[in-house]
Parts: sequence; C-alpha cells; structure tokens
Amino acid sequence: MMFWTLFAKECRQTVRSLIYWLTVIILSLFFFSQLGDIEITGKPVKGQEDYGVKYSDDEQIIMENTLGRLAEEYCRETYSTYPIGFHKSVKPDKDENRRIGDILEETAGIRDRKVIEDLMAEHYNKGGVIMTGMAVRPVKGLSYEHFQKLMQEVDDILGGGSSYAKDMLKSNAMVAMTYEDAMEEYDTLIEKDWLTGGYARLFCDYMGIMLAILPVFLAVTRGLRDRRAKMQELIAVRKASAAAIIVSRYLAMVVMIMVPVLVLSCFPLAESIRYASEAGISMDYLAFAKYSFGWLLPSVMTAAAVGLVLTVLTDTALGVLVQGIWWFISIFSSMSGMGGGMYGWNFVPRHNTVGNYSGFHNNFAQLAANRTLYAVISVALVAATIWIYAKKRRGKMDIHGKISANRKSKYKA
Amino acid sequence: MERYLQIGKVNIKHNILPHLLVTAAILCLSPLVLGVSNLEAPDTAKVLEMYVALTGIILLTPVFLPEQNKDLRDLVYSKYMKASSVYLVRILEAVAAMGFFLGIYVWMLHNNNCQMDVLKYYGGTMAEMLFLGGLGILCYGLFDNLIIGYMVPIFYYIVAMGSGDKYLKMLYPFSMAKGSYEEKIYLLIAGVVMLAAGVALRSRRFR
Repeated sequence: MMFWTLFAKECRQTVRSLIYWLTVIILSLFFFSQLGDIEITGKPVKGQEDYGVKYSDDEQIIMENTLGRLAEEYCRETYSTYPIGFHKSVKPDKDENRRIGDILEETAGIRDRKVIEDLMAEHYNKGGVIMTGMAVRPVKGLSYEHFQKLMQEVDDILGGGSSYAKDMLKSNAMVAMTYEDAMEEYDTLIEKDWLTGGYARLFCDYMGIMLAILPVFLAVTRGLRDRRAKMQELIAVRKASAAAIIVSRYLAMVVMIMVPVLVLSCFPLAESIRYASEAGISMDYLAFAKYSFGWLLPSVMTAAAVGLVLTVLTDTALGVLVQGIWWFISIFSSMSGMGGGMYGWNFVPRHNTVGNYSGFHNNFAQLAANRTLYAVISVALVAATIWIYAKKRRGKMDIHGKISANRKSKYKA
Repeated sequence: MERYLQIGKVNIKHNILPHLLVTAAILCLSPLVLGVSNLEAPDTAKVLEMYVALTGIILLTPVFLPEQNKDLRDLVYSKYMKASSVYLVRILEAVAAMGFFLGIYVWMLHNNNCQMDVLKYYGGTMAEMLFLGGLGILCYGLFDNLIIGYMVPIFYYIVAMGSGDKYLKMLYPFSMAKGSYEEKIYLLIAGVVMLAAGVALRSRRFR
C-alpha cells in the first residue's frame, strides 16, 4: 500500500518537473525529425532505377570481397579499422604482417605484393566509375568455417573493429538488389512481418539512440532534488523502507518515460493501419507495443538505473558523464552494423531498415540475450542503489554533507 | 587584480579540478578507440569535431555549480564583488584550459602525421567547444539546473549526427569534416553570445 502511494507521488512529481517535459520535447523532436515523414512503401514496380542495396548471404561473394580487401590492405601494409566508428589506421609489425601474409596465402593462394599490385591495377584501371572493391577468388576447397576462423585471427591481430571480424564479414558483400530481391523483401514484410514488424524495428532503431541516454538526465535530476530541497534527512527518518523509496522512484521514472514512447509509436501505427486498409492486407496491431517493451524498455531501465545508482552514491552528476561515455562508445561502435542483424552485446543494437527480416529472424536469440542482459544489469544496479541508500540513511557512507574540517577561507570575498 | 587571481585559485582548487581531470582522461584515452595518426584531413576534422569538442561541455557548463545552493547564492550575491565577475574569471579559466588541452591534442595529431591546416582546425574546434559549452551555460542559467545544461548541448550534438546540416544550417558543428569553414564563425559568435546571456541571466540579484 505504502509502495503504491509513493509510486503515485513520484509520478505526480515527475509530471510537474521541467526536466521531464524537456525529455518529452526532445524525444518528440527527434522522432519527428527522423521518422516524421515515414511512408509505408508499396509494392516495388518493375523497371525502377534502383531497388536499394543489401548484404549478400552468398558465402562465395562474401569470401571473394573480403579476400580482395585483405589483399589490398596487405599490399599497402595499412589496415582500416573502426573500433568505435572513427577511422583508425593500423600498421602491424613485421611478424604480424608475415602472419597475415600466411593467412592470405592459405585462403587466396597469393602473397607476392607484385601479383596483388597487378590485380589492383587491372581492377581499378579499367575505366568508368569503379563502384566496388576488388574481388579475389578463394583457393579451392576452402570451407567457410575455416575462412571465418582465419579472418577472425586477422581481426585479432589488428586489435578489433576491422572488416574481418566474424560478425562483420557480411558487410564486405554489399550487392545491388534486383526487382526480384525487392519483391521478395516486400512479400516477407507482408507475410512474415505482418507489415508493422519492419516499421516497429525501424522505430526502435531510432528511438533506441535517444532512450539510451535521455533517462539518465531524469534520474540524476530526481536524485539530486532531495539534496537541493534539503529533504534528504527528512526522508531518511520516514517509515518507508529503502526498497520502497528507491523502487517506487525508479519504477515511476521508467513508466513515465515509456508513456511518450508508446504515444509516439501511434503515429507510424496509424500510417500502417491506413496503408493496410487501402492495400487490403492484414497487419499486426500490437507490433509497436511489443517491440517497444522488448527492445526499448531495457535501454530505458539501464540508463535510468545508472543515473540512479551513481547519484545516490555520490550526490553529483557523475551519472551523466558515465552514461554519456557509454552511450558515445555504443553508438559509434554499432554504426557498422546499422543494417541490422549484427546486434552482438552492444547497448544500442541497430536495425536501420524496414527490411532485412532474415537478419532479425536469424539473430533473434542474440538480440533477446542482449536485451535480457541489460534488463538484468539494471535490476542489479537498482538493488545496489537500495543497499547504498539504506547505508547512507543510517548515517554510514556519507560522502557529502559532513563538516569535515575547519575550512574557513583565508580569502576575503 | 589580486582578487581575481584569488577567485581563479579557489576555482581551480574547489571547482574545476575534477572537470580538468575528466577532460585529460578522455583525451589521453582516445588513442585506444580512435585513430590519431596518419589521418586524411576530413578524418582529422572528424576526430576534433566529434570527439575532442565534446570536452567543451564538460569544462564550461559547470561554472555556476559552486553556487548551486540558493542560500549560498544569496550570500555570494550580497557581497561587494559582483557575481558576474566571479563567473567571468571562472569562464576565462575554463576557456584557457580548453585552449591548452586542444593545443596539446592538435600538436599531437600534427606530429603523428595527420593532415590539417593547424591554425584553422584549432580555431574551428575551439569555436565549436565555445558553442557547445555556451549552450550549456545558457541552459544552466535559464533553468537553474546543471543537468539541463548538459542535456541540451548533447541533444544538439545528436541532432547534428543524425540529421546533418538539414536543420542546423549555419550552426552545423561538424562542417570542417566536409570541407566548409564558414559555419565556425557563426558558431563562435553564437557561442560568445550564449555565454554572455547565460552569465547575465544567472547574475540577476533578485529572482
């Protein structure tokens, strides 16, 4: 009973706070600037100039493009990596270069720099606009599994973040979609994704960027408010348990942030309903809600929990810094996987397309594990907050607020 | 003059120090996650505009923090020394620290064979730092809330990242990476105006 009274109180306080409405405004501005003009694209028409691009699933194409790239970089002795989205060129030492040479020889059967230079000259000097990188055929009998293993070794030598990492190999095989490909993607969207699934993922992709950081501002402000209002001691002597105080506060924040998210999701939902009734197809009305809870809620929970625990611990805005750095690294390092399907353990998983259902479907277990991990982490952080709060309440662990020494300034103001 | 030096000293000891350490750590750790050698000019600009410039928010925004407590602020504002002078000294210190850190960073990039027009890149990044920090100070002064002071410039950064110059036009912060420099002048002017406005707002005695 006490808990729900506190919860209702927290919700009321949140609605009356400036930072909450600023959060709502920022979330809405971001939504309308990125997704405001979202249009449900109809069936592809034959004879269109282009149908977009896709990552190829063809292992032969993946191997050829990857090896072409490796040969070029081996020849230049400089490798491009993107550990967190920023370009970093890596120059391996002699031994490492020799090992990469061994790998190239084992997979592509070439090693001599002169031979590679000739291949490059042939590829790049044929006139016209060169759209794709060089492709090099793998040696006969090379299995894809062994190829993956060796490429991962190259990535390890380069310190990670290269195009040779196991999860990144597909990104080397970008191919233009044909009419048939586009038609297949459309059919998948209608039949397997019930139209809204693809749009719900795109919605989560964009909103996930914001929701990985915005809740921390709300949480830190809320945490600092007791101190500013000089209410800390007063609350500390109340009957409510530490768990009730912290959990009601946390739950109120999470719920109040999810409300505008669900409201905003009604815009693309309405657009989907309009399209579905015009085209006479059936759709999943609950997709946006399901995806919002499964995909976005763990982000909100984690960002809010980081803000909460660090504010209760230090009584400073440290949470903003920590979450800001985490957000920055996550965003930049997941940029190479924007097309979806490469979720890994990144805090901000990306799926910046309506299509690529197969990428989502095949990696669903990974995505689910990823989201579960962050939900668990946030619960652990909240538990830690309760523990810290209970200690502080009893006067132990006081970091701020102690009159520690005679610090009378010798300066005159 | 001596009084201003004292304000500066106290600021270093009690206010700006942790922010200086955080900035130094962020810059020192950068080679772990991004390339800082042999970069082409646009990549060099990207490192400066999208990474280093963020430290402007860390260094400039918290200038009003020591008087966060309303009672303390009333006390400080009752003194003979104008609050705005105190704030200006703190801002000057923060800007000097920014210039110093950025100088070392640019020098390091230059030594590591990154292509750039040193003075232009230094000035351009400084302008962006003043803009982001100025936006933070303005919002802090306006809403009397440090967190909002951090939140708004970060949102600005995200909009620039997500939408390019579509909405931000002449105040687009990452222009050097695409070879345009004019924006930096507008950023500098807007940054200084916002700094001044933030201090003026905060220094009103009767609120």
